[in-house]
Amino acid sequence: MCIRDRVSTQSTWDIQYLRDLMGFKRFVQAGRVAYINYGVDHGKVCVIVEVINSTRVLVDGPTLGVPRQVISLRRLALTDHLLKVAKGIHTKALEIVIKKNDLVKKIGESSWAKKLAAQKRRAELNDFERFQVMMLKRQKAYLVNKDVAQAKGKKSKKAPAKKPKEAKSGQQAFYASNYINLFAPVSYTHL
Amino acid sequence: FFFLMIRRPPRSTQGVSSAASDVYKRQVSTQSTWDFQWCQRRSMGKESKSQFSLKKVKQYILVGRAKPVAGQKEEPKVYRMRVFAPNTVIAKSKFWTLMRKQKKIKHTGGELIAIHEVIENPSKSVKVYGIVLRYQSRTGYHNMYKEYRDTNICGAMSQMYMDMAGRHRAREETIHIVRTCVVPESKIKRAETKSFTNGNVKFPLLNRISRPPIKKFKAFARAKRPTLFLQQNNSDS
Repeated sequence: MCIRDRVSTQSTWDIQYLRDLMGFKRFVQAGRVAYINYGVDHGKVCVIVEVINSTRVLVDGPTLGVPRQVISLRRLALTDHLLKVAKGIHTKALEIVIKKNDLVKKIGESSWAKKLAAQKRRAELNDFERFQVMMLKRQKAYLVNKDVAQAKGKKSKKAPAKKPKEAKSGQQAFYASNYINLFAPVSYTHL
Repeated sequence: FFFLMIRRPPRSTQGVSSAASDVYKRQVSTQSTWDFQWCQRRSMGKESKSQFSLKKVKQYILVGRAKPVAGQKEEPKVYRMRVFAPNTVIAKSKFWTLMRKQKKIKHTGGELIAIHEVIENPSKSVKVYGIVLRYQSRTGYHNMYKEYRDTNICGAMSQMYMDMAGRHRAREETIHIVRTCVVPESKIKRAETKSFTNGNVKFPLLNRISRPPIKKFKAFARAKRPTLFLQQNNSDS
């Protein structure tokens, strides 16, 4: 039984069944905020204004840089955000709703948006920055491994706690002593 | 919103005109419409690029009449017709086919006064289009009434052609459009159309696949095996 048959027999899908039993939480509906996966406007976020049929929707994104257009559902990824709008809302009215709900801010705060921003930053790194990242990764790994070694030492019942490794080699000493001062602070988000 | 065709005065004195000047007349009229269409398209701007709509057909308005005959008192009647066709060539052909069948005016004995493409404004709202058509199946002729949801008539017509081809194996040539209209919500006949017109329509997206965002990134060979599901965290955004 395909989607089409189901829709024709009921005016709406049994939402309770879909939500509780099947575990669906994001629906294609007027007001659903969606991310455009493919095409000219890919990477942008839009709002589903009206559902045309089971394959296409009318979307709009006034302050989001998406012109009012018909788009295939294949090109959309639904988000958790849902605006309370009537179907077929006009662009100007939608703009007011977006501003009122502070949608741009909410999207920016989501972990998904942060990941995208991190990916973008990573792609923009220049050679020196990539070197910095490499150094910081090593330092981080050093600190982590140090803590792990200490924790392992504490947990083991048989042997006495292993002494934390003294900075024997020159390289290790270098990292241990200089990890705060060496480089200008670079955020951890692109690690 | 579209160009009402007014009867243009004849360019030269009536009489049996030579074939060469006739051809010239026709060329001039199509040239001017082409320029106008070009201006229209330019003015539509970037919006038209991002439109995802099936555009199998365009809407044309054709105006034509029988050629005036020497000694005729009255000027031949002018007929205007709305045609859905992928281009002007087929539009003209369809026009003359119907002129011949209905008005007994052949292409050789008639002249096309004007042909204009009707360009609708970019999509603002979704409407229900009702199309009455007559098509020829392998065993006979049948009438049909079909409804489609779309933002413009050409999109709805394209849907209709694809639908007819899929369901009834009826090709474009065998389909004759009798009437098209925008159907108000209260008069929608088909259950499926009605269900989507409902403001509360809701459904989840199933069978999602991840694909590269740009066609350029679509690779013939990949190092990794394909992912058969789209990893979407349903609880967190």
